[in-house]
Amino acid sequence: MADDPQRNFRSAYYEKVGFRGVEEKKSLEILLKDNPLDVEKLSTFSQRFPLPSMYRIHVWKVLLGILPPHTDSHALVSRYRLEQFEDVSGALTAMRFVHASTPATELYLRMYQLESRQLPRRSELRPPVRSYGIDDEDENFLSISRAMEEIVEDPVDCYWLVRCFVNQFKIKFGDSVPHLPKSLEHFLSQEDAALLAHLKVSGALHSLPYCLWFRRCFAGCLPESSLQRVWDKVISGSCKILVFVAMEILLSYKIMLMGMNDPDGVYNFLSNMPQENTDAIVTKAIDLWHKHCGTPMHSV
Amino acid sequence: MSREQLSVGDLLPLLETSDLRQLDEIKGLINEHLNTDRGSMLLNGLVDYFLETNSAQAVHILSSVREPHDKHLFDKMNECMAKAPCRLPTLTLLGHVVRKQPSWIHKIARYPLLLSLLKCLKTDTDVVVLITGVLVLITLLPMIPQAGKQHLYEFFDIFGRLASWNLRNPGHVPEVYLIHLHASVYSLFHRLYGMYPCNFVSYLRSHYSMKENMDTFEEVVKPMLEHVRIHPELVTGTKDHELDPSRWKKFEIHDIVIECAKVSLDPKEASCEEGYASMPEHFCAHLQQRPADCTASPYGDFHSSYGSSSSTHFSTPRQPVVPPLALSSFSGTQPPYRSPTGTRRQNSSCEFNATYGFKDSLWSPSSQCGMATPPSSRGMSPNPEVSQSASHLPTRLYSTPGGKGTPSSSTPAAASPPPSLSDEFLPVSLPCSTASPPCKDGRPLDHTKPILVRQEPVRQELEREFEKTGPETINHRDERGENMPMTLTELSVYMKEQEQLRIEKEREDAAITEELLKLTEEKRDLAGLRGFDSPFFSTTETLTGAQEKPLPSSILGSSIRDPHNMISTPDKAEITASDRGRVSRGPSQEHPWNFRPVFMPIEHPTHSHLHRSPSAPEDEALKYSFCSPSPSKPPPLAYEALFDLALPRAASLFVGRKTSEIVQRVALERIQRGDVSKQVEEGCVEGAVSASPLEVLDRLVQQGGDAHDKVLKRLPLPSKSADWTHFGGSAPLDELHTLRSQLLLLHNQLLYERYKREQHAVRNRRLLRRIINATALEEQNNAMKDQLNLQSVDIMSLRESLQVEQQRYRQLWDDRETVVTRLHSQIRQLQQARDDYYTKNQELQSKLQECQKRIGEMEAELQKANNKVCHTGHLLNQLTAKLSSSESIQQQLSFLNKQLLLLGEAHKLCVQELHQAGPDTSKEVQMLQTSWGKETERLKQNLLLQSQKLDAAQQRVAELETQLAKKEHLIAEQKKFLEDVKAQAKGELQASESRYQAQRRVTLALQTELLQLYSRLETEDSSGTASALPAESATEPRSSPEPSVIVVDGAVKTATKEDGKSPQSPHGNGSTLSPAQPRPSKASSSPANSVNGNRDTPPPVLVEPPPHRPHSPLGPPGPLVPSDTPLTVGSYPSAKSFLGMRARELFRNKSESQCDEDEAPPPRLTGLSQGLKTELCVEPTAKSTSSSTTAQSFTLITSAKETQPDAQRAKNRDTFGSRCPERPRQQPLRIMDYNKSHQEHS
Repeated sequence: MADDPQRNFRSAYYEKVGFRGVEEKKSLEILLKDNPLDVEKLSTFSQRFPLPSMYRIHVWKVLLGILPPHTDSHALVSRYRLEQFEDVSGALTAMRFVHASTPATELYLRMYQLESRQLPRRSELRPPVRSYGIDDEDENFLSISRAMEEIVEDPVDCYWLVRCFVNQFKIKFGDSVPHLPKSLEHFLSQEDAALLAHLKVSGALHSLPYCLWFRRCFAGCLPESSLQRVWDKVISGSCKILVFVAMEILLSYKIMLMGMNDPDGVYNFLSNMPQENTDAIVTKAIDLWHKHCGTPMHSV
Repeated sequence: MSREQLSVGDLLPLLETSDLRQLDEIKGLINEHLNTDRGSMLLNGLVDYFLETNSAQAVHILSSVREPHDKHLFDKMNECMAKAPCRLPTLTLLGHVVRKQPSWIHKIARYPLLLSLLKCLKTDTDVVVLITGVLVLITLLPMIPQAGKQHLYEFFDIFGRLASWNLRNPGHVPEVYLIHLHASVYSLFHRLYGMYPCNFVSYLRSHYSMKENMDTFEEVVKPMLEHVRIHPELVTGTKDHELDPSRWKKFEIHDIVIECAKVSLDPKEASCEEGYASMPEHFCAHLQQRPADCTASPYGDFHSSYGSSSSTHFSTPRQPVVPPLALSSFSGTQPPYRSPTGTRRQNSSCEFNATYGFKDSLWSPSSQCGMATPPSSRGMSPNPEVSQSASHLPTRLYSTPGGKGTPSSSTPAAASPPPSLSDEFLPVSLPCSTASPPCKDGRPLDHTKPILVRQEPVRQELEREFEKTGPETINHRDERGENMPMTLTELSVYMKEQEQLRIEKEREDAAITEELLKLTEEKRDLAGLRGFDSPFFSTTETLTGAQEKPLPSSILGSSIRDPHNMISTPDKAEITASDRGRVSRGPSQEHPWNFRPVFMPIEHPTHSHLHRSPSAPEDEALKYSFCSPSPSKPPPLAYEALFDLALPRAASLFVGRKTSEIVQRVALERIQRGDVSKQVEEGCVEGAVSASPLEVLDRLVQQGGDAHDKVLKRLPLPSKSADWTHFGGSAPLDELHTLRSQLLLLHNQLLYERYKREQHAVRNRRLLRRIINATALEEQNNAMKDQLNLQSVDIMSLRESLQVEQQRYRQLWDDRETVVTRLHSQIRQLQQARDDYYTKNQELQSKLQECQKRIGEMEAELQKANNKVCHTGHLLNQLTAKLSSSESIQQQLSFLNKQLLLLGEAHKLCVQELHQAGPDTSKEVQMLQTSWGKETERLKQNLLLQSQKLDAAQQRVAELETQLAKKEHLIAEQKKFLEDVKAQAKGELQASESRYQAQRRVTLALQTELLQLYSRLETEDSSGTASALPAESATEPRSSPEPSVIVVDGAVKTATKEDGKSPQSPHGNGSTLSPAQPRPSKASSSPANSVNGNRDTPPPVLVEPPPHRPHSPLGPPGPLVPSDTPLTVGSYPSAKSFLGMRARELFRNKSESQCDEDEAPPPRLTGLSQGLKTELCVEPTAKSTSSSTTAQSFTLITSAKETQPDAQRAKNRDTFGSRCPERPRQQPLRIMDYNKSHQEHS
């Protein structure tokens, strides 16, 4: 990649000036030109560089296995996916779980439930209630899908992305998610011991919105434009980034947090944190992540 | 003004007040007035007052008036001069003024006062006035040297007049006055001669060339001339030059005075001479140069300078020793007689002195000669000079202490002077001074008696001499007298003058004196006979030298002198020290000492009067004796104190000791003397000590007067009368008058002398300054010399060190040189060695090169040799190989030879056999051979063929192998591709799998829903039957199946129709291993279609369940059952006879068809299933409707088929792919591949 002769000779200059991503796009395109797509390379790329938004969905699909590595079969597989989506949605519609007015996210939820054979009986069906506090998988799925709905326009893609994202997250990081608060504490002690001490003293450390952060992957916490950059990393195989984003949030709002001694206040503030400046937070978080975990040449 | 003047004038009488303060105030007032007032009133008043009262205060004021008043003063005095009675006081006043030396005194030459003074001197007949005037004039002359020239001849006239007066005595004045007059004329003579020698001499020449003046010249002027040396001006100067004002400009007043004194041979007058300081040196020179003259020269000198008087004078001292008073009367004759004794005495004394360390050696010659000691007298003359010279001032003073002071002081001798004599003087002067030798002698010899004894003789002697000696002797006397006082002090001048006066008085005795002179001269002649060589008028130098001459001449003297000389110096030192000490002690110490002379005169009269009471000279002697002490005091006071400054302080301590000793001795002597004249002494001493010199003078005069009165009273009348008669019988009153005037004259004289002394003092101060400077310079010089010495020593040491350094340097240099040369040589050697080495090195290098060349050559040769060796080796190998081959060949050869031999033998044998066998065998053999040959030919051809075939085969093998490799490569590619495709397919498969899963989930969900619905239905039914409506619930399901049956019937019909076709399919099955499947798959897809169609058509699905109804009651009703329906479907029919059979068949077929991918089975299956269903459905229903229903269903199915044939195709394929294992698909592929490869191969 680096030795690519087609690489723009200005790349070094661009990087120096700070225009990152100019070269990434090209290299990504080169990556995507391979017939059997190299998923490993794609994931590494996505770990190291921000994805261009025009290729994001595609890359995500490939990374999540929605599309096979072979580009030839993409059309077929996508048709299958479509048909499957239609089948399932049709079935649900037939079963009257959903109807025309049902929100897409709920549809996705039902479809997911159906596919994971967790669809409750209609009689037992209850409207999904938003509740952040409860570690409700349905709710997590819903919030993620809500975020994804914003990112992706196509409902089929959206469904599939949500479904695969959730599945992959569960399978891949199901074990490590419970340990993320610990690692957050660890890194925070390195970065800002005072803040950590304050959080500990005030007791807010244990009542941070971990569910929001680590189960929903900041869905509903960060605006989608920032969120997708975080998800780039998550999808490409790193859940540590969540820790650093969380830490960066804490550091960014350190002053406020230092002023708050009430754990509930902290929780509420962080749950409804202001939506501005999140890009910077994410950028910093990524830098921090790079700093602490090294530039990922291999997926974590 | 006038009032003030008047008032001031009134003050004048108050000047006589005794209150000092008032006096000062008045003086101040007057002075102030004089300062402010320019008028002459007050001044005139003062002058008048003085003229009236002779007030000293007035004189004091007048003599210090300032500039404008001088004119008035001179005018007034001039005025007064005109009046005869005022003349004397005026002159006195003038004398005071002149002696005061006011700054304006030189103006007097312009005023008529001078003229009137001269006129007075020329005309006046009062001898007192004359004397006073002359003294004033003498004093005045140095002050107006150039002014006086116009009056020069007047001066000369005055001189001439007075000189002749002296002789002729025109006024018949008392002779006492004449003495005074003579003295003053003498002074005038000196002054004029000193100042204007040429003019004066010419005047004298002209004046005394006249006959009438000859006697005057003979009597008066000639003796005077004898006492002056030739003035240098007479040689070098002219009359005009003398009068040149510029000549005097460089002289101060005292310079002129000294200048005048210089030319005087009179010891008194000449004492001031500076130029004779060198005398002592000449002394010594003469001493050594003229030993022969010793005896004679002294005499000659003596005579020349002083005449016999000196000798007599000398003799006098000895007189006392020789005791007799009686002899004293013959003083004139005494000297000759006494002289030897004196000399002896002196000798003894000299010896004594020598033992004492004094210089008495001078006297030795005289003693030898047996002469009276003239040289000693001579010694005096230089001495004064010496003493007066600054350098000798101190020494002169020592003499007294040097002489142990005590003797000198004690020396009552009238010649008290000795004490004041200088050291050098002492040796010489002691003898000459009448007193000194005796004192010394007397003291040691007999302490008690001599003092008085001696004093008396001396006095007597003097007096006698005065009386007896003529004018000439008087001159000598004067000189002697002068000598003595001079030695004492300058004051002694007075004595001399008094003596002169006396002498003049005693002119009567001139005859006697002349006799005496003659006698002395005779003796002189005697002396001269002995050794009188020196010219009569020897110069001062000769004189001085002569003095010393006698000393060396005498053997004894020489012997003595040496020690004396040896010792003398230390003595001098001591003396000087002591003198200084005395000086430092101040007047108090000196006074007593100085007073001794004073007593003596006082004592003297007592004794002398006994002898000469009647004579007037006694008075003079008294006076003179009185006077002498008084002046003697001031001189030491005057400038001895200065020595303190001049001399180093170190000596002061020593001096102090000395002085104390002296004091003690003085005390002793005083005590000794005290017996005789205690009272007088003490009185005088006390008075002298306390009073100032002036007062002492006055008191002395007064005392003199008193003493005179007493004496007069005490004198017996006869004697008195005798006296009076002797003086011309003048009344005592006249006598008193004369005495008073004499006193006045004396006072004048005194004042004059004092003035002279002051001049000398001034000069001395100057000289002293020079001494100080000289001593300072000397010390500086000494210091410089010391420094010089030190530096020279330093230089010497430095030079030595320099030399040492130079030597060392030279040594070092030499060493260095040697080292350098050695090093050079070494260097040279080394260089040579180096050159040798170089050359050797070069040689060796050339050799080396040669060797290298040689080595190269050798190497080349070596290589060549090696090559050769290699070559030979190679050749050898070849040869060995050849050899071996040749050997083998040889072996073979041998073997072949053997074979040949054997063959030959065999051949022979064969031939033999052949020969033996015959021709048959040969034919056979030939035939065999031919056949063998043919056979071999054939075999060869065969072999060739075979080999060709083999080659072809091998080529073929190679080709095949390449093909194989290609194939393998191809296969690998294919495999890779296959893998790729497989992966792709896998992905697709996964997608489809997921879809399938999804489908299954959907169906499951649907089924669950369905079941739920059913369960609800059932629950509703059961609830209906169970509750009040079981029928309804039963009917409802029945009613609902009905429509469904209808549909199913159709389906069954189709199935049946298809069943009819099924028999044909088995064949197809068998043949349908070939890939032509799509069509059958269409057919087979139909059941799927039907299924799909079922699904697609939900209403039928909803309808369908009812057919199960009948089963459900049969089978256990539950949700699980329906889920397994597909599997369990078959089980139900199996239970039934026919239907079960068919169902089983169908299922089997279905499975088979699925495996075999039959076209038939699917339709069958569907048909079967439909049929089953229909049967199931139909079973309860009647068969009646079967035909119609089948038709309907068929149509339905066909329609269904037609509706979606294409869509099913893909699905079929899917199902086919999914259902079938991969093997069947792969196999055809492989076959195909093989075919392909095969084709490629083929």
